Amino acid sequence: MIVFAASDKGGTGRSVTSANLAYRRALAGDDVCYLDFDFGSPTAAAVFDVPGAVRGVAEGGLHSHLQGRNTEPVRIDVWAETEHEVLRHRPAGAGSLVLLPGDRSGGEFTVGREALRRCVDLFLRLNGEFDVVVVDLSAGRSYAIDLALEATSRPEMRSVPARWLVYHRWTRQHVIAAAGLVFGGRGIVAGGVARGHDEERLRGAIRFVRAAVPDPESPLWSQVPPAQSAWMRKCDQDLEVLAADLDIGYTRLLGSVPLEPVLQWREQLITDEDVLASRIANQETLQALEELAERLTGDEPWGQP
Amino acid sequence: MRVPGDPAAAVLLCGEIRTCLLQTGRSLPASAARDLLRLRAGERVRVSERPNLHVVSPDLLTGVDCRLPTGTGARIRAVGTVTARAVLTEGRVLQATARFGCPGGGPDTRRPWGSYLVRPGVVEPLGRLPVRAVADGVLADVRRPGELDLGAVAERLLGEVQRHPLLDQRVPFKSRRTRLRWAALRAPDGEGPSLGRFTLAEDGLRTVELRLPEGTDPAACASLCEDLALHDWLLTTLVRLVERSRLGSADGHEAVMALRPAVDHLLHLWMPRARVDTTLAPLWEVLEREPGFTRQWGTLVQRIRDQLALQAIPLLREALTAR
Repeated sequence: MIVFAASDKGGTGRSVTSANLAYRRALAGDDVCYLDFDFGSPTAAAVFDVPGAVRGVAEGGLHSHLQGRNTEPVRIDVWAETEHEVLRHRPAGAGSLVLLPGDRSGGEFTVGREALRRCVDLFLRLNGEFDVVVVDLSAGRSYAIDLALEATSRPEMRSVPARWLVYHRWTRQHVIAAAGLVFGGRGIVAGGVARGHDEERLRGAIRFVRAAVPDPESPLWSQVPPAQSAWMRKCDQDLEVLAADLDIGYTRLLGSVPLEPVLQWREQLITDEDVLASRIANQETLQALEELAERLTGDEPWGQP
Repeated sequence: MRVPGDPAAAVLLCGEIRTCLLQTGRSLPASAARDLLRLRAGERVRVSERPNLHVVSPDLLTGVDCRLPTGTGARIRAVGTVTARAVLTEGRVLQATARFGCPGGGPDTRRPWGSYLVRPGVVEPLGRLPVRAVADGVLADVRRPGELDLGAVAERLLGEVQRHPLLDQRVPFKSRRTRLRWAALRAPDGEGPSLGRFTLAEDGLRTVELRLPEGTDPAACASLCEDLALHDWLLTTLVRLVERSRLGSADGHEAVMALRPAVDHLLHLWMPRARVDTTLAPLWEVLEREPGFTRQWGTLVQRIRDQLALQAIPLLREALTAR
């Protein structure tokens, strides 16, 4: 299965949350691969704490592979090469966790026929090797999104399951922007249909992930004055109404990730250790990530029998 | 390596093979396999059904004018054609091979293109060929920009086949492709073929260095290496499947279910030397002694069958008490 991670704006935690989902899937036993398609600023390696590739690799990354400058894109075995204390010990039963980094001096490029062919070949090849292939696309309406839509529209990709995650923060601006990215005139759905995707099928393969969501019921806010608490609840409800109006309400929601300092500031994987031993991350966050990872590959949340 | 004493005969044969599972749910029968590998209209696909189904595409030529990879970093320009072909075993395992032979030297300037075209699969150096350095370069992991990259030729061919509409992309299990690079130098006069080294690197790269008597058919050398690559891939893939099934630690039933694809798709494929030229067959014997390919395969297969038998015992008891 190929999972495309998109967002309209930066700062939605797209990379860090997607990386956490990849990590959770690997812990659950899937072989997982993470592709840094954020051609403008490849930073996914930082999340996995892999030295040497933190701002992308100097050469041999995904951009140069798609442009035909190298046959074998660099692969990083995260379990073996991470400097993260906990990650270095691959738990029994865990699947592989491989990162394909971008190039440091990548930048956007136009999608020619050859780049498209290489992209399709890469997806087919990784689909044959991994249970889950996470493709981290750059924020906004980018060439990376065009490439993903174009590649998945090809007949040879038709039976490869593809799912789209669209990340947005739980604010008015972000909700509107996320809906625009997907359903707008130049959005993912319109772009896909123009490339031959079936509209219903494509819509059915898109789910939203709400990031940095403050939970009014959380113990964190239990001490705030009643007026503030009521206001928070009201805002939350208004946002629900807005989201539903824009067709990104509950039926299209894969899950929410609570506001979490570790995700915001450290931008790294949250391990069970962070919650249970050092207690720097919240139990709710871990639960949310686990649930998201489960729903990511499940059939029911995607309306499939 | 044609007529003994021929100055144009190759002193170095090089190749790269990529081996992977055919990306489709069921193995292809002979007729479909033939259609799959008919890469160019009008060219013949070779199909052999004994002792197993083995389908070989026509040879495809790629013209090259570039530097040869060298271990020393020396810049050796060479011109000619690389031969590539795709091979499908039992409609299940796909291989793409790209190879060329190199004579000991050539003129210092480039000849008209026609004179290269009449010798398919030969890449001629401009000037003298530093055999050792080029062999080292071919076997090395890294390719510098502008150097002849056999892997790219093989990869492109593999992509072309795997994209074919006959394939449904629904693989029965996940597996990784392997790369095998080989370099065959000439054996000293009067000596038979020998295997210099066979190495396994972490990232699925294998290298083989051979010594072959003058006059050895380059296609026979390619077939031997394809056979090695196929069995190395089978072994690598089965080891991984057994590892992932957590045989011995997980719930027995679960482990058996995880091993089912191996039983369905892999166990019957083991047939070393099925198509290896008799003069080159002794090289296989070396690998059978050390590291012992068939010994390891046999042990794994036995382990899987023992598990299947163990899992069947309670079923048998149930069936008997139910009567």
